[in-house]
Amino acid sequence: MNGNQAETQPNHEQEHQLVSPVNHSRREPQKGFAKKVTKKRSKSGSIWYVFLTPALLGILLFMVYPIFESLRLSFFQSNGTNETFIGLANFKTVLTSGPFWNSVWNTFYIGIFQILITIPLGFIFASLINSTPKGQNFFKVVYFLPNVTSIVAAAMIFAFVLHPEMGIVNYVLDSLGLPTPGWLSDPNTSKWGVILLSVWHWIGFVIIICLANLQAISPEMYEAARIDGAGRFQQWLFITIPNMTSTFAFLLITGWIGALQRFNEVYVLGGPTGSPARSIQTMGAFIYERGFTGMEFGIASAATYIMFIIILIFTFINLKVSNMKL
Amino acid sequence: MNNNLTENQMQRLTDILKFFVLLVCGVVLMAPFIWMVSVGFDRTANISMPFPPRLIPQELSGFNYGIVFENGRLIQSYINSGIVTISSVLIGVSASLMAGYAFSKGNFKGKKLLFIIVLCTLMIPMEPRLIPLYTLFNSVDLLNTFWPLILPPIINGMLIFLCKQFFDQLPDTLREAAQIDGAGEFRIFFKVYLPLAGPIAATMVILAFIWSWNDFMWPLVVLNSQELHTVPLYLASFSLENGTSLGGLTMALATVSILPIIVLYLFLQRYIIQSIALSGVKG
Repeated sequence: MNGNQAETQPNHEQEHQLVSPVNHSRREPQKGFAKKVTKKRSKSGSIWYVFLTPALLGILLFMVYPIFESLRLSFFQSNGTNETFIGLANFKTVLTSGPFWNSVWNTFYIGIFQILITIPLGFIFASLINSTPKGQNFFKVVYFLPNVTSIVAAAMIFAFVLHPEMGIVNYVLDSLGLPTPGWLSDPNTSKWGVILLSVWHWIGFVIIICLANLQAISPEMYEAARIDGAGRFQQWLFITIPNMTSTFAFLLITGWIGALQRFNEVYVLGGPTGSPARSIQTMGAFIYERGFTGMEFGIASAATYIMFIIILIFTFINLKVSNMKL
Repeated sequence: MNNNLTENQMQRLTDILKFFVLLVCGVVLMAPFIWMVSVGFDRTANISMPFPPRLIPQELSGFNYGIVFENGRLIQSYINSGIVTISSVLIGVSASLMAGYAFSKGNFKGKKLLFIIVLCTLMIPMEPRLIPLYTLFNSVDLLNTFWPLILPPIINGMLIFLCKQFFDQLPDTLREAAQIDGAGEFRIFFKVYLPLAGPIAATMVILAFIWSWNDFMWPLVVLNSQELHTVPLYLASFSLENGTSLGGLTMALATVSILPIIVLYLFLQRYIIQSIALSGVKG
């Protein structure tokens, strides 16, 4: 930028020196014209704000205001009607609260395993679907079906699917001679019940995103590899996977953001306290419990800010790890 | 020659193997649905869950479905979900179309900054906004109405982003031609660009519909009275009250609750899958 200016300025001077009066006079109206154009532009510019009014009002009322109000509330003891300023006490309460850290642990535990299982598995399924000559569309429809059903209904179904005595999962495990865990009724295994449900619900999304990106890899690369004598599996390993890194990054980031906000299914399966024994209470459920069953708005707000910061840090780390540009 | 043939055979064999693996896994993935439908239609499941689990009902009957519909709360929640979803989709999609168009074709001060702010809203989860939004709607006495569910979707960063991308692909020459004919910005938008926006509008409607229909946390916070409950809320309250004690009834209810979205999906699956892929790949 600076270099450009330095280059153009001497040129201007040169021009001024060389320019004849005739040329100069020709310049004047041009300047006036330019002014007119910018005037017209700014006049028509204001009309664009009319187009943006609904969205901007929405941002102000439903995004900006709540974010700052939540920050303010986190410094107050509040039940919605009475407020007293108590400084950082809410943050101290939350950060020293056992149930809060328990909910953080639960959220991360479920999230990590959901992501570790679903992304590789979904990618393998997507590769299989992509390379199968028959029934591609059929498989797409079937595998994506769980993702369109509401997670609330899915959780309801899984309460039966994972039932220790009457469920199909334990029936199959038992008939294979494998141990039959208590799943959602046992605090030691309930997190794995939620993980199974979330893998089942999310895998369709992973498959669809992977498929869309698999089909975007240029066929010439495969052709070149084939000429070099690479087998199909080698092509998959050395061409497909490296070409999918930005897709994996996208799935990792959206997966984490979704996992850290997990609420719906654990609320349906375990209520606001995430029973049994708070074993599936997530951060979202902790906030709901303190905010709307306990009416402790200040504490809930402090918790949401801590959660918000965790999400931001994690998204940032994920962006760094995956080398993705914002 | 012989070698070539076996290679071809190998290829065919792996293709069949792949197909088989996909089929088996697909059945496993579908098993909860199949079981749900079967238990819902089983008369005996109302007394105790059938064990061992069977995929064909012992006593086929619509008994459970009869009770589910007799109750009336399900139909009420359907109507509620319909009102909320249709209004919020209309308001969200129209606002996003206008905003996306302005960000694509507009020329005004602060365009870049405003667009960055719109993209930032994608990163802001619901939780930090939950309590302030609750108190906001409380202060204007709109809790326990549908307004808190209809108004906030007016801002949707993802839809605005998709829409801007779409309008970016449409040529500016259309605008110039219309401008020469003396059309104003609104006329250009409504008469020239909007009629071309069918594909992206369909995508936006599909995405907004699924989000709104399946939304749970925010409706749970703002809707206290049972008569206003949307479908997911009714399901959750039923599930929390009865646990796994009413197997046949719960499964019938779950079936009926997901039916509209499944039917919609089966009819529009190509467009729905495309929309999701689009929102994912470009988001």
